[in-house]
Amino acid sequence: MNDITTERRNLIDIPSALERIGGDSSFLDELLELYQSDFMEKFGLLRQALEEKNFLSIHEIGHGLKGASANLSLLDLQRISYNLELAGREKNFALAEQSLRDLEEGFRNLKSFLAQRKSGI
Amino acid sequence: MTQVLIAEDNIISARIMEKNIKDWGFCAVLTKDGKEAWTRLRQNPKDIQIIILDWMMPRVSGIEICRRLRRFQDKTGHYFYIIMVTARDERRDMIEGLLAGADDYITKPLDLLELKARLMIGRRIIMLQTKLMELASRDSLTQLLNHKSILEHIEEELDRSTREGHPLGLVLLDIDFFKKINDTHGHTVGDQVLVEISSRLKNSIRKYERAGRYGGDELLVVVTNCDWDKVKKVSERLKRVVCSRKIMTDAGSIKVNLSLGGISSVSRPHAGVKILLRACDRALYRAKEKGRNCCVVVP
Repeated sequence: MNDITTERRNLIDIPSALERIGGDSSFLDELLELYQSDFMEKFGLLRQALEEKNFLSIHEIGHGLKGASANLSLLDLQRISYNLELAGREKNFALAEQSLRDLEEGFRNLKSFLAQRKSGI
Repeated sequence: MTQVLIAEDNIISARIMEKNIKDWGFCAVLTKDGKEAWTRLRQNPKDIQIIILDWMMPRVSGIEICRRLRRFQDKTGHYFYIIMVTARDERRDMIEGLLAGADDYITKPLDLLELKARLMIGRRIIMLQTKLMELASRDSLTQLLNHKSILEHIEEELDRSTREGHPLGLVLLDIDFFKKINDTHGHTVGDQVLVEISSRLKNSIRKYERAGRYGGDELLVVVTNCDWDKVKKVSERLKRVVCSRKIMTDAGSIKVNLSLGGISSVSRPHAGVKILLRACDRALYRAKEKGRNCCVVVP
């Protein structure tokens, strides 16, 4: 598998996601839309939690994003969310901040890939 | 259709479960966390048969909901089949979940085929339990509600009647000279008479009416939204349906008559079950004093 394929697979492992949800690709599209709007909401809450140094919320949001990402085989976002969850549990502010930045970038990459996929690129 | 309540704060997991559960022939109700699930279950507990509880949820955790549901069940008698879903796959967590009252346990990431199989098990258990409860509520001879169940039914309907402001009607039916039938023809024939009367009663009552075996040869019919006038009509209808034809037994055909006593709660708006039944009993006694084979409905 070449680097681009691996990179894409880490963004979203489509065969694995389809297998997990029963094979329906239009349902996968629906779930990805849902994920994106849920992510935006959680990201806003995460920023606030970081400002307030609310590690319980950071942990819960990380846990939630980790689960949602895992369901759709969004491997990068799943890994970053796990770090966020860990940061919350260990009250590690530096790791939480870094995870926030990584999430933002990871989400941007995912959105870009999905937009390209939608337009057939 | 078996109703499944899903308590899951992860919107993607919830949506995946909801879609697949519906595809498998269940009805799915989604709640976004433990608190919402608890509120929903307390409102209409009998609507839900199976519950899928995520362990880790904000506000109230799945395991706390599980414990509350088992305490709630002790008070209401309604059984929920509970499946805990969690990423916590350590053995002690599984044991904690089962000790809290979960019937089954499944770990994330969810395997849909496994979830389907576990839901099928849950449905089988619930159907078996429903059947057992149905058998336990029935009189074995007549298949009407037994004494305990008809009284429980009156309590429930009286509560509803008070809440909604609609009166409740009760009709007590007694087979005239039933002891003589038993003494003359034997208890087997007596049972045949009772079974046939009960069958005619069951086939004639409407869907908002319920019939039960109150005593040896006493049957009780409960009618919702029933004022004095309606009790009268219901009593006359029941008597006509039961007594219009002879009953075929091993001893030949036997003519039976009934004495009926009826009341409506409309003139006793705050009366409890015991007071209503006493009033109904007095009405029946008056029917017997009048010479039997008649209906007496007291206001």
